[in-house]
Amino acid sequence: MNKNNVFMIGWEYPPHNSGGLGVACQGLTTALADYSGKIYFSLPYKFSGSLKHMMLLDCSHPDWGKEIEQPPFFAYDQYPALERVDPANLDLNDLAALSHSNLEKQVNQYHDQVVNNSKNKDFSVIHAHDWMSFPAGMSLKQKSGKPLITHIHSTEFDRSPVGGSQYIMKSEYQGMKFADRVIAVSAYTKKILIDKYGIDSQKIKVVHNGIDPVENTDPGNHHFAKARPVVVFMGRLTGQKGPEYFLGLAQSVLHHLPEAIFVVAGNGDLYQELLFTTAHKGLSSKVLFSGFVRGNQKSKLLDRADVFVMPSLSEPFGLVAVEAAQRSTPVIISKNSGVAEVLPSSIQADFWDIDMMTKSIVELIKNKDLSNEVVRNQNNELKDVTWKSAAQKVTEIYKELV
Amino acid sequence: MPQICFYFQLHQPYRLSDFNVFDLSNDTDYFSKDNKTIFQKVSAKSYRPMLSLLLKLVNRHKEFKFALSCSGVFLEQALEFDDEVIKLIQKLVKTGQVELLAETYYHSLAGLYSQSEFNLQVKKHNDLIKELFNYQPVIFRNSELIYNNYIAEQVETMGYKAILTEAVDRYLYGRDRTKPYLSYTKKPLPLLLKHAPLSDDIAFRFSDKNWPEHPLTVEKYIKWVEIYPEDHIVNLFMDFETFGEHQWEDTGIFLFFEKFIDEFITKSYNKFVTPREVVSKLDKNKLEVYDVPEPISWADVDRDLTAWVDNDLQKDMINKIYELENLVLKTANDQLIEKWRRLQTSDNFYYMCTKWSNDGDVHAYFSPFETPFEAYRHYSIVLADLIIKIDSENQLEQLVAK
Repeated sequence: MNKNNVFMIGWEYPPHNSGGLGVACQGLTTALADYSGKIYFSLPYKFSGSLKHMMLLDCSHPDWGKEIEQPPFFAYDQYPALERVDPANLDLNDLAALSHSNLEKQVNQYHDQVVNNSKNKDFSVIHAHDWMSFPAGMSLKQKSGKPLITHIHSTEFDRSPVGGSQYIMKSEYQGMKFADRVIAVSAYTKKILIDKYGIDSQKIKVVHNGIDPVENTDPGNHHFAKARPVVVFMGRLTGQKGPEYFLGLAQSVLHHLPEAIFVVAGNGDLYQELLFTTAHKGLSSKVLFSGFVRGNQKSKLLDRADVFVMPSLSEPFGLVAVEAAQRSTPVIISKNSGVAEVLPSSIQADFWDIDMMTKSIVELIKNKDLSNEVVRNQNNELKDVTWKSAAQKVTEIYKELV
Repeated sequence: MPQICFYFQLHQPYRLSDFNVFDLSNDTDYFSKDNKTIFQKVSAKSYRPMLSLLLKLVNRHKEFKFALSCSGVFLEQALEFDDEVIKLIQKLVKTGQVELLAETYYHSLAGLYSQSEFNLQVKKHNDLIKELFNYQPVIFRNSELIYNNYIAEQVETMGYKAILTEAVDRYLYGRDRTKPYLSYTKKPLPLLLKHAPLSDDIAFRFSDKNWPEHPLTVEKYIKWVEIYPEDHIVNLFMDFETFGEHQWEDTGIFLFFEKFIDEFITKSYNKFVTPREVVSKLDKNKLEVYDVPEPISWADVDRDLTAWVDNDLQKDMINKIYELENLVLKTANDQLIEKWRRLQTSDNFYYMCTKWSNDGDVHAYFSPFETPFEAYRHYSIVLADLIIKIDSENQLEQLVAK
C-alpha cells in the first residue's frame, strides 16, 4: 500500500507546551508514524534533540533572536495586546485590514519560514494544527496544490466564551474555509464549528484525542490528607475552565461534608481573584491552592483525588479528565466538553449546576460501591481512548483526499 | 531639656516552611529551617553588636537607662540559635539600668480576638521573663503597640501599671504627645505615647538619602529633642533591629547612637528615664484622658490595624485561627497547642497585606514570601493540616472515653 508523506504545521511540542495542543501533536504523530509515510513537522523554534518518528523543521524567524528554544508566544496563554470582540457581532465575511499586533506579525513570520522550509519536501497532504499554523497551511496548499487539513484542537470561542480576538477568529474561519477537510477533536467542537463559524458539516470529521496508557498508577488516600475526602480541580485558572464554579461547589458540598478538602491545582489570570473569593466565602483552610503541578505531583494529586471535577464553560476535549480517570478517580465533567463523548459513564453536569454536582460528590464520597462502579466503567471506556484509533481515522481521511 | 524614654523591641517570628498540599497529614514541619539562619544573621548584624554597645554605654554612664521588650518567640529562638544574646540581655538587666516590658509571648493579636488567650500569653511571657532574667515587668506593651480602650481594660485587670502605645492625632486632637495620658477605662492606667517623628527619624529615615535632613548628625538631632521643656517626655520607641539590620552598620547608625548618648548626657539638665520610673512619679489626677475606641498601632501611615486585618485573606485567616481555640485546647496536646499559638504571631498576617505604595514596600522587605498571595496560600494549607490533627486527636479522645 502506498503510504502518504505528510507535511504537518505545528506550534508547540512537549516539553515546551502550554496546553493540550503539544500533547495531542505528540500522541497523534507517534501513533501515525506506523500508518503514514514520512512526517515533516514544523515548529516556530529549534527543538533541542531529535525525534525518531518524524522530521522536525525549525521554522523560527531570525528576528526572534538566535536559536529560540520555545514558541515565540504560548498558544494558550493570555493575549494581553489583543482587542476583545463579541463573537455575536463578528461578521465572518469582513476580512478588512485588522490591527497589526505583535502576535499577528509573528504568525506571519512563521508563515514565511514554513513556506521556505517546504521547498524540496516531498509530501502529498498538508495537516495544520490550530489557527497559528493556518496561514502557512493555506499558502502551502496554494503553492503545492496538495490537499489541506485543518485540525481544530480548540477555538477562540472556547478560550474566550465572552468574546475573544477578532483576528484569531478570522484566522480560524479562513483556515477552515480554505481547507479540504476539518478535523474536530470532538462532536462538541464540530457543533461549535457549524454553529459559530458556519462551516459545512460535511467537511468536518471528528477524531477524538487518545491518551498514552500509564503504568505507575497508585490510587488511594495514603498519599496525603489520609482521613479526608479530597475533591480536585486541575487546569488553567481562567474563565474557560470555570474555577469560580468549583469554589461555589466547594461551599455547597461543605454543608454536607464539612470535613472535605478541595484542592485547586493550576495557575492563571484568575489566581488572585480566586484567593480573595475563597477567603470572602470563609473557605480558607478548606479550599487549598497547590499552585501549578507537574510530573510526580500531578500524578499523586490525581491518584489521591476522591472525585475530580472539570466544570469548564467550554472544553473541546478535556485531556485532564481522562488523566484523572486513568488514575481510578471518578470524574464529574462539564456537558460542554468533548471528553464526555469518550467517557460516557463519567458524571456529566452543566458547569453551573452546583446542586447536581453537590449531590454527585456527596454520593460518590459516601457510597464507595457507587464510586467503584463509576471507576470500573470509566476503565472499560478508557480502553478505546487510544492514539492508535485516532491515527487510523486520520489515515482514512488522508486516503480520501489523495 | 526633656526626658528621653527609650524602648527597643526584640522580636523574630517563626516563619512558615514551604508546606504544600502534599504535606497534609504527613508530619512535615510547619516552620522553616531558615528561621535559624535568619536569626543568626540578624544576631550577627544587630543583636550582638547593639546589645554590646548598650552594655558599654550603661557601664559608661550610670544615668543612661532604657527599656527592652522581647517577645517570647524571640527569646525561644535566641536560646536555641544564639544564647549569647540571652547572656547579653541578662548582663544588661543586672545593671539595674534596663527595664523589661510585658507583652504577649507569641507577639499575637490575641488582645483583640480572645481574652482568655491574651491573658494566658501575657502570663506565659511574664513567667519566661522571670525565669530568664529574674525580673518582674510592671509596664505593658502590646504587639505592634496595638491599643484601644478594651485592651487597656484587660491589661488593667492583669495588674500592670501602665501601657505604651502610639500617639495618633485622630484621638489626640493636637495635644502633646510628650505628656503621659490616662486610659479611658473604669480604672484608668497611665499611657506613654510614642514620639513618631523623632523615633522614625532614626528607625526609618536615618539612611534615606532622599530625606532633606540626611545625613542626620547628633548635633542636629539633639537640637530637635531639646525643643521640649523639662517636664516633657520624648518617647523614642523602635525596633531593636533598627540598629544594624534595618539600618546597616555602614550607615553609621552605631556611631550615631553612641555619640548621641555621650553628648546628650553630658548636659546636666538632660535625663534618661524608663517607663516604670516615669509612672512611679506621676500624679494621676493631673493627666488627661486618651480615648481610643478603635484599635491603633505603630504601623504604616495610618497607624491602624490595616497592616494585619484589612483584606479578606487576612480577615478569614485570623477568624479561622481564633475559631479553633476551644477545639485545640480540648486536645490537651501541648505540641499542637504550641503550633496553634505560633501561628497566631502577627507577622503571618502582615505578610498577607496587599496595601500598595510605601507601606507595601515595607511589608515586602520583611516578608519571606514573594507575594501576599503566597503567604496566604501556605498559611491556609498549614491551617488545614492543623485542623486535621486537632480533629483526629479529639476523635481519639472520644474513642478512649467510650
